[in-house]
Formats: sequence, structure tokens, C-alpha cells
Amino acid sequence: MVNFITQRYSRQGLWSLFLICAFPLHFWTLILVFRDISWLTERTNAWDAIGVASYGMVFAFIESVVIFLVVALLGLLMPKQWEYDRRIAFLGLLILLTSLWGIISQLLFLWNVFLPAQAIEFLRNSSHPLRIIYAACLMVVTPTILLPAYSFIRSKKAVTFMKNIMERLSLLTMFYLFFDLLGLIIVIIRNIN
Amino acid sequence: MDNQFNRRDFLKLAGLLPISLSTPRLSRLLDTPSWIQEKPKNVIVVVFDAFSAHNISLYGYGRMTTPNIERLSKRAIVYHNHFAGGNFTTPGTASLLTGVLPWTHRAFVPNSEVAEPFASRNIFGAFQNHYRIAYTHNGWAYTLLRQFHKEIDELIAREKLLVGSFDTAIQKLFKNDDDIASVSWARNMRVNEDGFAYSLFLSHLYEDLQEKKIENFKALFPRGLPTTGSDNGFLVEQAVDYIADRLTSISQPFVGYFHFLPPHYPYRTSQEFYNTFNGDSFKPVEKPIDIFARRVSKNLLKKRKEYDEFILYCDKEFGRLYSYLESSGLLENTWLVLTSDHGEMFERGISGHSTDALYQPVVRIPLVIFEPSREVGMDVHTVTSAVDVLPTLTHLTGERMPDWTEGIILPPFASTDQIPDRNVYLLRANNNDQYAPVTMASTMLIRENYKLHYYFGYPEVSADGLVRLFDIESDPEEMVDLSQSKTGVASELLNELKAKLTEVNKPYR
Repeated sequence: MVNFITQRYSRQGLWSLFLICAFPLHFWTLILVFRDISWLTERTNAWDAIGVASYGMVFAFIESVVIFLVVALLGLLMPKQWEYDRRIAFLGLLILLTSLWGIISQLLFLWNVFLPAQAIEFLRNSSHPLRIIYAACLMVVTPTILLPAYSFIRSKKAVTFMKNIMERLSLLTMFYLFFDLLGLIIVIIRNIN
Repeated sequence: MDNQFNRRDFLKLAGLLPISLSTPRLSRLLDTPSWIQEKPKNVIVVVFDAFSAHNISLYGYGRMTTPNIERLSKRAIVYHNHFAGGNFTTPGTASLLTGVLPWTHRAFVPNSEVAEPFASRNIFGAFQNHYRIAYTHNGWAYTLLRQFHKEIDELIAREKLLVGSFDTAIQKLFKNDDDIASVSWARNMRVNEDGFAYSLFLSHLYEDLQEKKIENFKALFPRGLPTTGSDNGFLVEQAVDYIADRLTSISQPFVGYFHFLPPHYPYRTSQEFYNTFNGDSFKPVEKPIDIFARRVSKNLLKKRKEYDEFILYCDKEFGRLYSYLESSGLLENTWLVLTSDHGEMFERGISGHSTDALYQPVVRIPLVIFEPSREVGMDVHTVTSAVDVLPTLTHLTGERMPDWTEGIILPPFASTDQIPDRNVYLLRANNNDQYAPVTMASTMLIRENYKLHYYFGYPEVSADGLVRLFDIESDPEEMVDLSQSKTGVASELLNELKAKLTEVNKPYR
């Protein structure tokens, strides 16, 4: 099994993959934490608000590990002849795109963006509103996944471009991991009493 | 003379023994109220959390929110001007249970415990001769009950009456910080609550798991199962059934404290009351946006409607509990108290009770006392406080009156009708250090028909603080601030309030 994995990933590659998995999860957690902090302070106090944020960072770290494991396992299904870099860059791209769609779906609620009245009326009158919604989502989301995937197969430039992005984001993620550590310390302090 | 004490003499004297034993008790009964002369009574205190008197039809609200309580109250004593000790769970509940104000018990910080002496000076400590049983859905109220556990014979575990979820596991894992860990868990995982969560992926999986768990209840609660704010669902029906069952099994006399979370947010009424008030003609009084509406709440009318419908659910469950107690015969020997820990508001741009403002909806709460065998109702309009409940109950059951309480015996049970010039206070100081002088707070003083609000230490108000004065008898909606027109009354009450603050701050300087 170990051989099977080492044939497909380098140690550096796995670390990069973990960082790229952790990036969107931490980024989103931090945005919402900053959004919540005044609300929480008003309802509790500053120390408890910091506590909520700290648990949030620890949970984000745990989620990053889970997502990393899932993505790394999925990567084993990719063509064997793909070199390390291409495999990691492709998985990184997939995780970023999926996260982007995850963030967009939540932003719609945050910004109170709803379907126009005519669209709701149309769905209400249709016999299968859910199927229509799912089909529409697929039509929008699928090209955003397939097109970059296709470009990875055809062009080396896309791989280099993605590698550069991953390197830059990795630096930022290291900073986020420092927040995780701080969060963990705060969680421990809060639970010692 | 024969001084011999024979067997016959002994038997004659022994016959007098029962009389001699009962004489001290009989003499004590001569000056005790009639209701105490029978066997000791039970006490049940039922608290519905965030239950504002402002939204209760029994107190004149424009929507019929409490048909059952109204019906039952025709045989009860209804207090129309009753006030909480604080405007959120911790200080409000602590004042009710200890009989002292927040600046004395010091539990004015969210989810805090009371000062050490009050771990035994509370309703449970005061009823040493009763079997003491308690339950709450509310995590912050549970913190207090856990602190009082040495005085409680049966503290029903909070999780026992919650619909199982992973939240319980989080609470066990982070047992020293369970409340904040639960809040964060909810913010991470409950994407359905607001449409977003910190977790981008696992939250969706988690929601699916949760949905499966509560699938059977979905049809009964169209807005979702009532929850404790995190992902712990519960049914008041289940709690009422369990409690009613326990009350008929435990030894008497007992004291029961049962603190149900509804109608606290999230307002998720049952199918029976869902959309009951849709399109009705009720229109609340329009009021200006308040200085403390830091983030102006939208959809106040919708939230109010959902809250009112949630009250209907509480009302029904209280009616059911009452019927159970009545049919089991317990009510014949039980003082039943219905009240709350604080109110809730949907006006002036503020929704809920997490506010520094102290308007009537957030501080005025219900108090209804059901006296055993009372057939005729009574209305009390005197201003009363949550701290009065404990001394009144000890008086009614013949227990020793606690010497620490700051409350008084409520009318009509007090020998004097009311204490002239009595001040009723309330404190909110959730950002103040627990054991430091109160320097940033919202305070309230009510004397007769005047209510003074005094806010100080907040960035929104000047160094002198912000003062408002209302005549709550002629202006119950608090629309006309009299602090500038009735300067004499305002300054007299303010000086009194400031003197009180100086007094209570003294030990912490």
C-alpha cells in the first residue's frame, strides 16, 4: 500500500496537496469568524467570542485533514502515467473549484440573493421543480470543472500556472496553520479550568 | 404518703405523652396562616424562557397567544407588573433562584455561576425538608443548576430530554467549556440555520445525518424541530410527559424547578400553530430605532409572528401539564408558579433579548401563582420582582424565610399590602468583570408608575450616561421620555439608583 502511494505522490507533493485543501476551508472560516465576532461579543463577551473563533480554527484544521485524505485517495484513481506535479496540480485545481462553488452557494444566503420572482413562479408551476434546479446547477457547474480538466490534459502551461498559484497560496495557508495552533492553545486553556 | 410510683401511674402518665409532644407544634400553628396548618405543600416552578409579558394575551396583547393560560388563570393570582432580575438567562434565572439581584449574586456574565455563598443560598437550599428536583433545556440555566447540585436531590441531566445529536458528544469532549464548544460546533456545522456555516464540506454531510435523525418529527414542526440554539433538538411534549411522570413517583413534599427553553429563539412552533397569525389584523405600535440597535434587525414583524406562534405551543404544553397535575390530584397540595427568566422584543430595530436596551418587552415577564384549592382569580397590579418569588414560596410552605433574600413576600400573602416607595431594580452588565465594580451596564429602577433607565459606560452614551424616564402606567409602550420634563422625579430616582450602585460596588473596589 505504501509503495502504491509513493509511486503516485512525493512527500513534498502530499504536503502541497494538504496546504491547498486547507486553504479554502480556513479562508472561509476566517471570513465568517470576523463577520461573527462582534455579534458574539455582544451576546457573550470578548473571551467567549475568541473561544468560538478558536474552536472554529481547530475544526477547520480537522476538516482539512479529512478532505485531504479523501482527495489523496481520489488521486489514486488518476492515470498512472501522470507525473507527480501534474497529479497534485490537478487535484489542487479540483479542490479549489469545488470550494469556490461551495463558497458561492453560501454567499447567496449571506448576500440575500434569491431567485427572481418569475423563476420561482416557473418552478412552482412545474411538476418537477427539484429536478429542474439540479439540472440547472449541473449545467452551470459542470463546464467549470470539465474545461480546466481538459486544459490540464492538453497543455503543460496550465499545469505550470496551477503550480504557481499553489505555491503562493501555500505560503498563506502556513499563516492560517499558525492561527490553528493559536486556536488549539486557546481551546486547551479554556478546557483546563 | 405512699410515694411508690407503680405501673398503673406510669401508664396514666404515658397516655399524656402524645399531647405533650404535640403541644409545641399546636401552639405554633395558632399564629400560622391556615394553608400551612395542613401537611406541607409541594412547590412547582415552571419557567418558559424568554417569555415576554408584552406578547401574552393574558396581559392584554393584541393576539390570542395564551388561551389555556387565560382559562386556567381564572382561578389563579395574576401579577401584571412583574419584572425579571436581568434581561438574559444567567442573571434572570439566578435572581429567580437565589432571591437576590444580579449585583449581589454576581452571575451577570453570560453562562457564569453565582458567587460562592449562593451555591447553597437558593431555592433548593431553602427547602431542606422537601425533595428537590430540577430540569432545564437551557445550557446557561443548567450551569447554575449544576452549581447548586449539592442542594438538589434529583438534577435531571439536560441531555436526557434532548433529541440525541453529536452536540452531546462535543459537550462531553469539552466538558469544561461545553457551551462555547457547542456554539462553535453549531456555527461550523449547522448550515441549515442561516444558509451558511464555517465548514464548507462536512457541514452538508452532517446536515444529512441530522435530517435523518429527526425525519419522524419533520411533519410536526414545519420550521424545524425546536433546538437549544446549537443542534440539540427537543420536544416540550417529551419533557412535560417525563416531568409529570416523575412528579407522581417522587416523595412529597417536593420542590420542582422546570425551565423549558421555548419560546426562546429559534421560534419553531408545532404544525398545529404554524401560520396561525398569518394575515391577521394585528399591528404593533411603531417605535423609533433605538440607540442600542447596533445592527438593525430586519423582518421584525415576521419574527414577532413566529415568536407569537411559538408561545401558542408553550401555552398548550402548560395546559397539558396543568391537566396532568390536576387529574393526578397533585394540584390540591401544590403551589404552582408560572414565570420566566426574561422577556423578548421585536421593536425599535431590536430583535430578541441580546440587547443593552431595557424596554418593557425584554424585562416584564409573567407571574401566575396557582394556589391549591383557589376557585376565584385575583389580579395584582403592584410592581413586583423575580427576587420576590423565593421568599414568598418559603412563606407559603411554612419554611424558614431566607435571611439573605432581597425580595419581599408578594401580595396578597404579605401582612402589609405593599412596602411604600419600594424600588424594583434590574441589571444588565454582561461585559463587566464578574467581581469588579459595575462600570458598564444597563440598569433600571421602577418605583410606582415611574421607570428609570440608566445606561452608562457604553461607547454610544456620554460620560454622564444616558437617562430615560417613563410613566409605565399611562405610557406602557414607553413612547414619551419624561427625563427632561419631569426632572425632579428623574433626578430623585437617578440619585437613588446611583447610591445603590455605589453601595453594591463597595465590596469590589
